[in-house]
Amino acid sequence: MTYTLNAAHLYGDLMNTYGDIGNILAMGYYAKAVDATINTELISLDNPFDPAKYDFVLFGGGQDYEQTIVSKDLQTKKAPLTDYIEAGGPFLAICGGFQMLGHYYIGAQGEKIPGIGALDHYTLSQDNNRFIGNITIKNAETGQTYYGFENHNGTTFLGKGERPLGDVIQGHGNNGKDQTEGVIYKNTFGSYFHGPILARNEALAKRILKLALQRKYPDGDFSTLDQLHEDLTKNVVVKP
Amino acid sequence: MSIKSTVATWTGKSAYWFLHTFRGGGSSLPGKLALKLDPAILKQLAKNYDVIVITGTNGKTLTTALTVKVLGEQYSDILTNPSGSNMKQGIVTTFLTAPKAHQKPLAVLEVDEANVIMVTKYITPKAFVFTNIFRDQMDRYGEIYTTYKKILDGVALAPEATIIANGDLPLFNSKKLPNPILYYGFDYQTDTDEQAPANTDGLLCPRCQHILHYHSRTYSNMGKYFCPHCGFERPQLTYKLNVLTSMTPTSSDFEINGQAMHLNIGGQYNIYNALAAFAVGRFMDVKPAKIAHALSENDEQVFGRQEIFHVDDKDVTLILVKNPVGLNQVLQMISTDERPFSFAALLNANYADGIDTSWIWDGDFEQLPKLNVPAYISGGERYRDITFRLKVAGVPTDKLTIVPDLTKMTAEIQKLPTKQVYVVATYTAMLQLRKQLASQGIIDGGMA
Repeated sequence: MTYTLNAAHLYGDLMNTYGDIGNILAMGYYAKAVDATINTELISLDNPFDPAKYDFVLFGGGQDYEQTIVSKDLQTKKAPLTDYIEAGGPFLAICGGFQMLGHYYIGAQGEKIPGIGALDHYTLSQDNNRFIGNITIKNAETGQTYYGFENHNGTTFLGKGERPLGDVIQGHGNNGKDQTEGVIYKNTFGSYFHGPILARNEALAKRILKLALQRKYPDGDFSTLDQLHEDLTKNVVVKP
Repeated sequence: MSIKSTVATWTGKSAYWFLHTFRGGGSSLPGKLALKLDPAILKQLAKNYDVIVITGTNGKTLTTALTVKVLGEQYSDILTNPSGSNMKQGIVTTFLTAPKAHQKPLAVLEVDEANVIMVTKYITPKAFVFTNIFRDQMDRYGEIYTTYKKILDGVALAPEATIIANGDLPLFNSKKLPNPILYYGFDYQTDTDEQAPANTDGLLCPRCQHILHYHSRTYSNMGKYFCPHCGFERPQLTYKLNVLTSMTPTSSDFEINGQAMHLNIGGQYNIYNALAAFAVGRFMDVKPAKIAHALSENDEQVFGRQEIFHVDDKDVTLILVKNPVGLNQVLQMISTDERPFSFAALLNANYADGIDTSWIWDGDFEQLPKLNVPAYISGGERYRDITFRLKVAGVPTDKLTIVPDLTKMTAEIQKLPTKQVYVVATYTAMLQLRKQLASQGIIDGGMA
């Protein structure tokens, strides 16, 4: 392989509900097409995070109990994670991971649990309700449509300087009110999408992969990635 | 018996008779009617029984069936509920329609996790069996901790009942309980120090909240766990699998507490079910040799979950999958087949399948390319998702056929290059395939 990317899977052994690991698997699949390989390292409790070492970070969602444990340990990584994000490191945060990059979220017992405030959003909770179901959004900048599955109690409100990942076409999104879903800040992408988001949205997977490759290999030519299209109609016996 | 419960019992029994005679069925309605008239009807109905409650995420049905077989070696009157009737109404119906028992009868009940308390409000069981608790994608709200709490809320009403629990699951050692507890588990490997794969659930030490390690691991987060940080570890096992002799897709040979056993069903998860049945048997004083005899019988009614059918000369095994732990176990079981086989994965996302397909990414499909499978099929309503999953796992495109329309499956199965074929399918994909097979006369109609 010509190119190598180092990925950090933040708390992959604790924040791992709903197949979030598939985001790294899907990235690795597209990476092969441009002769790149992704080495994934698990960064969990008590492990230091070195921002200079990684080209991509995934931070998934977890169960309530695990999230309370993670939120404490996360404070010890606050500075290097903030540095990584500010330096334009590609970062994908899903569900609980998305919430914890912001100022705070509300736990299952109604307690306010601090995030690391690397991003300017905050998350409240709904009483006995979850947003569950298929969701479709459109990214204003690229015009791309993204598909996913949301399943969250938290309602997130973006801060100044944060753009949404997309505008809600169908589903609830960040809070069910302002039609926003997810966040983009520098090269950090946050979302409530499971599915996983990069497995179901080729364009976004390629966009983030390209960001990571170009950041590490400014002289590399990754144009073949744009021509690549995952043809899932090939080998189809009979269309339904 | 009070007038209220007499009337309730009579109403329930009449409803059952009516449904059974004129409709050929009736599982929860009689119980529902009886409960309407007397909410505490269970107290009356079950008062003469020694009750064993079996609960957990996976393996309830088979553990219950195996336990009934094991206890049948020694006891004559054993009542049990049919698979699926594991909530309050179904359990009431089971007692309403029980044949008249002569001596002190036993009842072995499969009970849904959230319904344990519905049972213990009225019945004090002799024992509880905890099989396991995994995150099931069908439990849209359920976390493993809340599921366990629901079970314990029910158990709290019966503090003297013995708990027979899977000792390999850390969660079952996480709370101090007043009940006597007996643990069963796997204990045949030499100790190492390993960690579970990153996307495994439930790895936090319940005592100090650090990541658990394993001296040996069976699957998911189960095994001989220990916490290098605080010393928390797997409890002493009373019932141990001490030798694992062989596993094939259709059978397992092993020893429990030195007693050789043969089980006519494959899969490591089913050995756990046999361990649980062994534990209950010993708890009820059934001799180990008798238990081995009961478990070795080839009882198709008990082992009917894996359905085998034939398309021309092909032997097709159809297996239901619904969550990543189950899927990984199926893949493990398939990997023990020494014959060449083809593999099909059919994915739907209707309510009964679980409407979120994300879980397929937690399944270890990466094992498949290592098995030298010559031909693959991906299909179902969500064929795009399962096809991409298989491709990412390393399944070569030229060996993969995509069949969105399951009515074409029979024709595609005929074209496969191997005699042996495994089909894993989510619930409604399985129903659609069965309907197609039934219409072609390959299987009998109706759900197995």
